[in-house]
Amino acid sequence: MASLSLKGIQKIYPNGYHAVTDFNLEVEDKEFIIFVGPSGCGKSTTLRMIAGLEDISEGEFRIDGKLMNDVEPKDRDIAMVFQSYALYPHMTVYDNMGFALKLRNVPKDEIDKKVREAARILDLEKLLDRKPKALSGGQRQRVAMGRAIVRNPKVFLMDEPLSNLDAKLRVQMRTEISKLHENLGTTIIYVTHDQTEAMTLGTRIVVMKDGIVQQINTPDHLYNKPCNLFVAGFIGSPQMNFLDAVVGIKGDDVTLTIGDAVLKVPDDKKQPLIDGNYDGKTVVFGIRPENITDNAEYIAAHPDSTFKSKIKVFEMLGAEVFLYFDVEGTQLTARVEPETQLRTGSDATFAFDMEKMHLFDKETEKNLLYSE
Amino acid sequence: MERNTMAYKSKQFLMFAGPALILFCMVIIIPFIYGLFLTFTSWDGVSADKPFVGMANYVSAFKDAYFWSAIGRTIIYSAFAVVFVNIVAFFLAYLVTSGVRGQNFFRAGFFIPNLIGGIVLGYVWKFVFNRAFVAIGSAIAGGTVPSLLASTGGAMFCLILVSVWQYAGYMMLIYVAGFMSVSDSLKEAAMIDGCTPGQAMRNVTIPLMRTSFTTCIFLSITRCFVVYDVNLSLTKGEPFFSSVLAAMHVYNKAFTYKDYGTGQAEALILFVICAVIGITQVYVSRKGEVEA
Repeated sequence: MASLSLKGIQKIYPNGYHAVTDFNLEVEDKEFIIFVGPSGCGKSTTLRMIAGLEDISEGEFRIDGKLMNDVEPKDRDIAMVFQSYALYPHMTVYDNMGFALKLRNVPKDEIDKKVREAARILDLEKLLDRKPKALSGGQRQRVAMGRAIVRNPKVFLMDEPLSNLDAKLRVQMRTEISKLHENLGTTIIYVTHDQTEAMTLGTRIVVMKDGIVQQINTPDHLYNKPCNLFVAGFIGSPQMNFLDAVVGIKGDDVTLTIGDAVLKVPDDKKQPLIDGNYDGKTVVFGIRPENITDNAEYIAAHPDSTFKSKIKVFEMLGAEVFLYFDVEGTQLTARVEPETQLRTGSDATFAFDMEKMHLFDKETEKNLLYSE
Repeated sequence: MERNTMAYKSKQFLMFAGPALILFCMVIIIPFIYGLFLTFTSWDGVSADKPFVGMANYVSAFKDAYFWSAIGRTIIYSAFAVVFVNIVAFFLAYLVTSGVRGQNFFRAGFFIPNLIGGIVLGYVWKFVFNRAFVAIGSAIAGGTVPSLLASTGGAMFCLILVSVWQYAGYMMLIYVAGFMSVSDSLKEAAMIDGCTPGQAMRNVTIPLMRTSFTTCIFLSITRCFVVYDVNLSLTKGEPFFSSVLAAMHVYNKAFTYKDYGTGQAEALILFVICAVIGITQVYVSRKGEVEA
């Protein structure tokens, strides 16, 4: 197992396109790091640079302190699980899993032992004689994992390994990968565009956009203290609600005006607005769907954080209900208890949990309440 | 009309397959059957009489030492030509898919020899061997250097060389398709698994290109076994009939020596040999073929 260091990594293609800009990350031994972001954000490119499949234009990449920039992929002691699984179609499952060991001249009995052990862990024992074409998507995915496991590499790289699976299998395999990380204690770098995978698997998440790292932190931290508007919107499903709000500062009282509603800013969140001289300025008010409530008691207790609207869509998910409605022309989502009496077309009163609100600068898009 | 009736299905079949079926019968099946009939006659290729002689033409063909030596020569020629055509085509395909500058230009350039007819190609290369190479050789070595086409071994060498030049570009395109069908992620997986470029080629790329190998080897075998045009224009079977290949022998037998029945019987034997070798090769090669 290993620690990784990426310092000032850049990827610039011959046509001048900056795919990755100034990527810095220190990965500790046994960490499960997730690269997440929308398509084209540079996450797969960064992973491929770590694998040695793409040249690093600038910067230093080290594994256990050893500079790896010019080291061939085969000499980096890494294993990779590809999005397409990249199983050799002319080889059986057994041969696919043992191929890397065979190339390293590992004795046959040792290859056999390692392949069968990996097959046992991944429940592939009965499939060892089959060729990839005769396997289901989930089985192929497990073989791809097995091929990585048998090598016992320093680092596992996974490039959207679950994206070709159906929703149910994806959830199942997510759990398997998590268990595997626990059991093997390996360093894993995992690329995904699915923020649910990122939140459930990662010990730390690297959020990227346009080749630039936006924030690196734990899932909990990213969810509760996003550093900017992009991270706030990207992490969480349904995504955070955003509304333009005008700040009003009168002495110690700080308020946010959204249309007709005037919301009182809690004491512990006033200072950045006062210090930043935001009086009269427009900021972006962010609130997660679960921090909007239709609970009558809460609304009665917080009259200075309420607003009215009409329900446009009612979505019953069993354990929870999503309510969609408009405020000042912007669609908001509330996640409420399934016992709610509100339905499509109902006139509703909601309250924001102002302790959980986020405020972003309209121009810089940075979170005014939290910093790294 | 009911769509599941036999009449409807027959009409539908004839509408789509009918024209092609009629053409196929007219230009392949009927001439083949008629040719088969002629092998049992002593027709001279000209007269209206076609006397039935039973198996006499086959007996004559099996006793024809020139025919069997032409078959032997064809097998040797084909063996060398097939091997070199495929080796050269494979490396050309590798070259033009490896990202070299101007690879599309090279692809077109290597394919052009295949567009030139065999007769023209033979005469062009005859000039090259008889004049250009002789002049260059004479200038370097001094005195007069004989043409390669003037020696028995040299003529066969020239035939093989020209065939490789002619067919390699065409086969290259099939190998290019083969190379492109192997996904990049498989090559990358091989690199990460620890393959050197050579090991990746041997263990991953080549096994996944079996379909291309099957097709190219089959095409080159069948083309080489029935080659006639280049044989005629380049060597005309000379010197001393040392480069007469099977197809040329069959033609001479039927049309030059006016022994059409025997010539047709020999053509049928050549067809059977060619078919057996070709089908066996395809059967063996197809085993273990997988999609890349």
